[in-house]
Amino acid sequence: MGEAQKGLLSVIEKLKGTTEQEVRIVLLGLDNAGKTTLLKSLASEDVNTITPTQGFNIKSVASHGMKLNVWDIGGQRKIRPFWKKYLENTDLLIYVIDSADKKRFEETGLELSELIDEENLKGVPVLIFANKQDLATASPASEIAEGLNLHTYRDREWQIQACSAVSGEGVQDGMNWICNNIVNKKK
Amino acid sequence: MAEDDSEWVVESIVGYLGSPEWVIPVTDFMENKCTVFDDEDENKLSYTEIHQQYKTLVEKLLEHYMQEVGINEQQFLDACTSPFAKSKTLQSVFQPVLATDDFQMFRTLMVQKNMELQLQALRVIKERNGALPDCLTDGADVMTELQQQEMKILQEVLKKSKEEYDEEMSRRLLFEEELGSTSSSCSDKPMTEGGESQNTTSAASQHSSAAKVSPESKPAIKAAASGGGDEKSAAKKPTADCGSNGVESRVLPAVKAPAKSGEPSLSSSSGGGGGGPQTKEQSGVRSQTPAESWLEEAHREAGFSEPYTELSASQQEQLQQRAAYLRQQRDKLHALRKEQQKTKQTAKREKSPSSRTPTPTATPEAVGQSQRNGVCSPPPPAPPRAPPAAPPPAQHSAAPPKQKEISAEERKKLQKRKHLADKLKEEVIKK
Repeated sequence: MGEAQKGLLSVIEKLKGTTEQEVRIVLLGLDNAGKTTLLKSLASEDVNTITPTQGFNIKSVASHGMKLNVWDIGGQRKIRPFWKKYLENTDLLIYVIDSADKKRFEETGLELSELIDEENLKGVPVLIFANKQDLATASPASEIAEGLNLHTYRDREWQIQACSAVSGEGVQDGMNWICNNIVNKKK
Repeated sequence: MAEDDSEWVVESIVGYLGSPEWVIPVTDFMENKCTVFDDEDENKLSYTEIHQQYKTLVEKLLEHYMQEVGINEQQFLDACTSPFAKSKTLQSVFQPVLATDDFQMFRTLMVQKNMELQLQALRVIKERNGALPDCLTDGADVMTELQQQEMKILQEVLKKSKEEYDEEMSRRLLFEEELGSTSSSCSDKPMTEGGESQNTTSAASQHSSAAKVSPESKPAIKAAASGGGDEKSAAKKPTADCGSNGVESRVLPAVKAPAKSGEPSLSSSSGGGGGGPQTKEQSGVRSQTPAESWLEEAHREAGFSEPYTELSASQQEQLQQRAAYLRQQRDKLHALRKEQQKTKQTAKREKSPSSRTPTPTATPEAVGQSQRNGVCSPPPPAPPRAPPAAPPPAQHSAAPPKQKEISAEERKKLQKRKHLADKLKEEVIKK
């Protein structure tokens, strides 16, 4: 029965018959990390009217001949338990960190490690955006990588990218990494 | 072989997707769950849950179907990807299926469904009550816009009427001087016939004294008011009928003709709000009504006026009663209007009331003339008030046209409501 369902789902997936390769990306991180701003910046939308996300946002971005469906799910503590409902069939995880919020580095690290352990994210590449580099108090990406023990990840591709979602700096670099990685992986 | 296969499979699938077996559960699901789906950019977490439930439902249905028909998933897929199934007409049929895998599509379907239901509900409410309750229209800007427009129109009408009144007054004075004897005869006529004409007391008095002149000029005021409306609203109604009467009384002719044409146009210009009678009930509509109500009064009085000449004492009493009633109504209107426009208008109002009050008395004369030809010009105005006040038999002729007017007014009202509903719809759909 379970198998039959899976089969049917895949059938319906194929029904869409789009020639484009579709990629499902989940965008996570603590509240106020800048996930929605990043999402809007990716979609070239106005980033000045963003309010805390209570639910989730979806944007489809065309890049490198692929269609990236990016799911940005609210990061408030009470919403985090819902994260795992969105992890199924995810091709890539983007994790956003407020580089200037040193007090919560530990908290964000814990959340990330929990995600990494999720069955649905097994082997899924991770891109970490060290966001808010435009702030003077922001920690450098290397420092954050160390704090997160990224170098201990053995089962997946990972990358940390310094950026500022507000100015857009570094965002494109991250996207390039994503596309290169997805292409490699999907092949 | 394979092609043949897929063709009948496609047909079968399409048939299934149009059958109650599929449509009823899917539609039920959507109608039950769509209420939380709004148009916001951000998705609610609950959408995901509902989407999950939807997937389960569709999978169950399709599996059941495939088992029944005896096709496997591969056949299903082949059929659905065949060129036949790719036609546009079939694409929409497959949408609910594809929505299982495509959250965005699912969301769109649900938002659409929600909107449909909302519009349906609005329609039902409208059909039941004839109008949308305030709570459903109030929030919309449309309402305030309309009201503002009405206020503007009213103010302009008042201004115009005042101007024209002043003009009339000065003209009247001139007239009087020039045609002293003739005009006096006109105004006197009705009164003499009527015998004890208390209403007309002032009118009865000779033109010689300036004070007496004013009563006559009052009808003119009404006309002026209506005239103002006319100029604004392009839709003029045939004024000709009354115009012919004009010959009889120089003063009055001008008055009547505009009044008739003016009324309909006035109401239309004001956005089709109710006539004078409704004003009391609907505060929203009030703004325009006062002007209309004068006109209506004039008309009604006109209806009477014919009889007036041959009136019995009792009938005259009735007339008086009506006049008193009218005055009361007017007072109410004034009070209402004062509330609405405290500052500017007060000055004008003070003037206009005084001019208006006498009107009932003065109009009969005018009416009498108009009535002769009057039949042709249906006294459009005051349907609602007429019933209580107007027992006199002479009015029969006038009555039927009045009823017509009612329906016309109601039609206008209905149109207004429709307009509102349309706007609402637009807003909802735009989203």
